[in-house]
Amino acid sequence: MVTGRHFAIPALLLTLFLCLPARGATPAIPPMTEAQRGEAVFLDAMSIPCPGEVFVALNKVCRPNWATLVTPATAPVTTHRAQLALAVGVLAANGYIAVEAQDGQQVRNVGREIMSVAKALGVSQSLLGRGNSLMEFAENNAWEALADELEATENEVKATMVEQKDRDLVCLTSAAAWLRGLEIASGVVLATESLQGIEVIRQPELASKLAAQLGALPPRLKGGAQVALTREALESVASLLKANGLSQQESRNALQKIHDECSVVVKSILTSATALGTPAPAASPSASPAPSPASKTTGTNSSASVTK
Amino acid sequence: MNNRPGTPLLPLILVGLCFAALVAGKAVAEDQPVAGAVKNRAPILPSESRRIALETAGAFVNDGFRIRDGEWNGTLAKGTPRFLQVTLFAGENYWFVAASPARGAMLRVTVYDAAGKALKGEQWKGESGNGGGARSAAGVAPEKSGKYFVGVELLEQADPAPAEFSLVYAYK
Repeated sequence: MVTGRHFAIPALLLTLFLCLPARGATPAIPPMTEAQRGEAVFLDAMSIPCPGEVFVALNKVCRPNWATLVTPATAPVTTHRAQLALAVGVLAANGYIAVEAQDGQQVRNVGREIMSVAKALGVSQSLLGRGNSLMEFAENNAWEALADELEATENEVKATMVEQKDRDLVCLTSAAAWLRGLEIASGVVLATESLQGIEVIRQPELASKLAAQLGALPPRLKGGAQVALTREALESVASLLKANGLSQQESRNALQKIHDECSVVVKSILTSATALGTPAPAASPSASPAPSPASKTTGTNSSASVTK
Repeated sequence: MNNRPGTPLLPLILVGLCFAALVAGKAVAEDQPVAGAVKNRAPILPSESRRIALETAGAFVNDGFRIRDGEWNGTLAKGTPRFLQVTLFAGENYWFVAASPARGAMLRVTVYDAAGKALKGEQWKGESGNGGGARSAAGVAPEKSGKYFVGVELLEQADPAPAEFSLVYAYK
């Protein structure tokens, strides 16, 4: 005889079966609203990747011969604060390249040059300890610590700029560091037959954002030749990186254009005000870089070699 | 015969005075900061939330991750997530670590793509030790380079006051 108990047990089991997945499942995370995306915080030290990050990503897809990409570290001789701020970014990126190449002498040179520019900007006081750390780590071949110290040095320069009511200069340093990283990365990708690593550098939104930040600078900074050139390059790079569905040759041409535009900007940033278009001498005799057999003139890395 | 008995001692006294002045001057000079030298500035102490976040992210360093020097901090209220725009690279691995010292707090970190859709990845949660604060991390490996968002949400809290938080990230 079938009783109510016979129905109760399967009903209980069925209820448990139906309830268990619901209890065990992770609650679905709702997508962001358009307003949330629009209001998301954009922070210089978190939203803009440091050159070291770009290079780590590149190391995964191809093996750049970093030693051939090391460039002499020369700071411009100028009193234009915007150019000096841009130079800090380029020099910091050069430091990362020297770290990847494990070239201790170049790291020391870059450290000295950054100190020299920081002095010209009036932000060197708090940086002397950083400079000494860079020298010490370079002496001891502590490459990971050097990469961390380079980022910390760049951030400390920026923090001091903010303290000194020069907040506007910060975005110049970040933009220049990113452009120099892009110059190197595009050179590395161009040196491969199949444009290996091109996906790594496809960051059109960031280029647009940096261009917009430079466009919002006060006229006294925006009017400088290097700032205008940097902004134009960022806008051009953003549109070139946005292009989709290109053939291999079209992609190569676009990448070459990106590389050339970045090279022009970097060269301009490192050119002394008095040199009138010629490469800048070192800011101080002590800051002269030691000649390196692997070094090349800034902005001519289109033939960057890649170890396969 | 010496009409001036003090005279032989005078040069000695003068030399002694000069020597004393030199020593004193050097001592004073050593106490004063040298122009251009690093001032003995008080070290900038990280906030408690940053300290916990860095301590948590430090675990990933052993696995080859590199922590960025930057930080995003602020306060969170339950039910009001906050978002940060980040730029990530295809093929790279990331861990975003958020921490709060607030008692009884529970955080959730989520990484979203440019369209605002949550990415699939790893999740980690933990308590911050004696204080009863919270630590949470999200690990992702994006397939495309570009713009992403990191959301930090306060799921639970003991105190009604907004909870302080800090977010750092590590990459490899």
